[in-house]
Amino acid sequence: MSTGFPEALHVSFADSVNRFVDWLVLAYGDQLRAVSDGLLQLLVGLENLLRATPWWLLLALVALLTWHATRSVRRALLLSGLLFLIGVVGLWDKLLQTCALVLVSTGLCLLIGIPFGILLASRPLARRLLMPVLDVMQTLPSFVYLIPVLMLFGLGKVPAIFATLVYALPPLVRLTELGLSQVDPSLTQAAQGLGANRWQRLRRVALPLALPSILAGLNQSVMMALSMVVVASMIGARGLGEDVLAGIQTLNVGKGVEAGLAIVALAIVIDRITQAYGKPR
Amino acid sequence: MKRLTQLIGGALLALGLASQSLAAPAAAPIHFGDITWESGSLTTQLLRFIVEKGYGYPTDTLPGSTVSMEVALARNDIQVIAEEWAGRSPAWTRAEQAGQVFSIGDTVKGADEGWYVPAYVIKGDEQRGLKALAPDLRSVQDLKRHAPLFKDPESPDKGRFLNSPSGWTSETVNSQKLKAYGLDGQYVNFRSGSGAALDAEITSAIRRGKPVLFYYWSPTPLMGRYELVRLEEPPFDAQAWATLTDPSNPEPKGTRSLPARLSIGVSAPFREQYPELVAFFAKVDLPIATLNSALATMSEQRQAPDAAAQAFLKANPSIWKAWLPAEVATRVESAL
Repeated sequence: MSTGFPEALHVSFADSVNRFVDWLVLAYGDQLRAVSDGLLQLLVGLENLLRATPWWLLLALVALLTWHATRSVRRALLLSGLLFLIGVVGLWDKLLQTCALVLVSTGLCLLIGIPFGILLASRPLARRLLMPVLDVMQTLPSFVYLIPVLMLFGLGKVPAIFATLVYALPPLVRLTELGLSQVDPSLTQAAQGLGANRWQRLRRVALPLALPSILAGLNQSVMMALSMVVVASMIGARGLGEDVLAGIQTLNVGKGVEAGLAIVALAIVIDRITQAYGKPR
Repeated sequence: MKRLTQLIGGALLALGLASQSLAAPAAAPIHFGDITWESGSLTTQLLRFIVEKGYGYPTDTLPGSTVSMEVALARNDIQVIAEEWAGRSPAWTRAEQAGQVFSIGDTVKGADEGWYVPAYVIKGDEQRGLKALAPDLRSVQDLKRHAPLFKDPESPDKGRFLNSPSGWTSETVNSQKLKAYGLDGQYVNFRSGSGAALDAEITSAIRRGKPVLFYYWSPTPLMGRYELVRLEEPPFDAQAWATLTDPSNPEPKGTRSLPARLSIGVSAPFREQYPELVAFFAKVDLPIATLNSALATMSEQRQAPDAAAQAFLKANPSIWKAWLPAEVATRVESAL
């Protein structure tokens, strides 16, 4: 079949990878499922909390949050109106499921991404080693790692969070690193001169100065998490992505468009709020 | 600058002439839809091999999702879909009514679908040290007693039934069946999202010897690889089936699924143009057991579909020779 490249030079490591995954499933499958149960409880808890909250209260909370971020009544009404429209087309419950997924994965992104960004900014060696890893995370087609992860952690929300994390983490790490490396060194030196230790210099000087950049990274992370919603639904995570997928598979274009626009609306709401917090006031 | 444009223009002209002179003599190849599920890709390669070597027509494949290929077939962008579950998708039904596509033959008789559990759940497996967890599990009715066995980690008070991805016709049927058998209170109707995800979850559970309850169908490698038990359902009843395929019917009645009919989908122009191929397609008949085991080998040894197709043709000459005129069969055999 393949012409051109000499066959004597063909090396395939596919078999070893297959055997490794199989061994992993046999040896650690049960333990890893127990780990994933913990994460699942957190997510299901958040989902149930959102569901137990009356819809008008949630809309009011979003409006309040928007107002707090932008100080604009018009914008607050506009954004909560967008979410209201999602409810009108009958996708409220799926919206909450998607929200819970995005919130948990963004939370994990913050927990992992910011420390890594700090590490990258302060250690040139770590930067050299981890930058290519970030490139791989952003470009490796997600199904390549999703299926093995699914076999290890079980079908549904946990592998979805994992996939989202892999895809959405890099911008936060990169922009945290960028923000910190752009802090004027004379400022941290001044702080050192005044007797601040490493932690104080980071906490009181560098991080506040890098905050706009970090928040821009967070904003990008959330947007990418939302764009993973459809892929997440392909591994059994419910939510808006499920409707997009079903719409495509049955050629029900209308249904797909409805759910797709709902994802866009949710993205706009989250984007405007996080951006407003990122802007210096 | 002028020289440059002249140079580029000349090169483009030469390229155009060259590609034209190359394209002219070869006949347009027959495009097969590159369906990705295992039985589909194996059948595609089987047909392609016979069409190319036996009948001497060039062939090619075009990739796409199932629905997009059905639409492409209606527009004659592709000419053949080697395994069409005719009547299962609205896109297909519409095109068939409009006379744009035709389903030829009955390629796999005894194709089956239903609710399965691994055999070790019922019988146990001494070699692997697995106890029989539900020795009395026979029919879907018995599932009522066994919900805790198939515990859903997302809502631990219920069992999990692995349904097909939402959007598949079988997803509607299974959701209605859950209601019909009175299981919707005890089991979570879990849509698996994609075929790959469903396969991965089942395979993982079987490798770890855990109980799992799922919807599945044959011909598939999974059926050939593992010992699975189909849970008994009431005998087929057309009226009850109608209540199952309608998602909005509030009172569905249980029945086993309509026996699946697998055929070869062709476009209307193809049917006009290649009557001898249509006659061959109409005779294609793959015995389900042979097919399942060929698929299992293909998936276990991770053979490429074309290699698996050639191995299949070599191993089972009596099967395919019955489909073909003698001289075509001889040509195929000499090419193997």
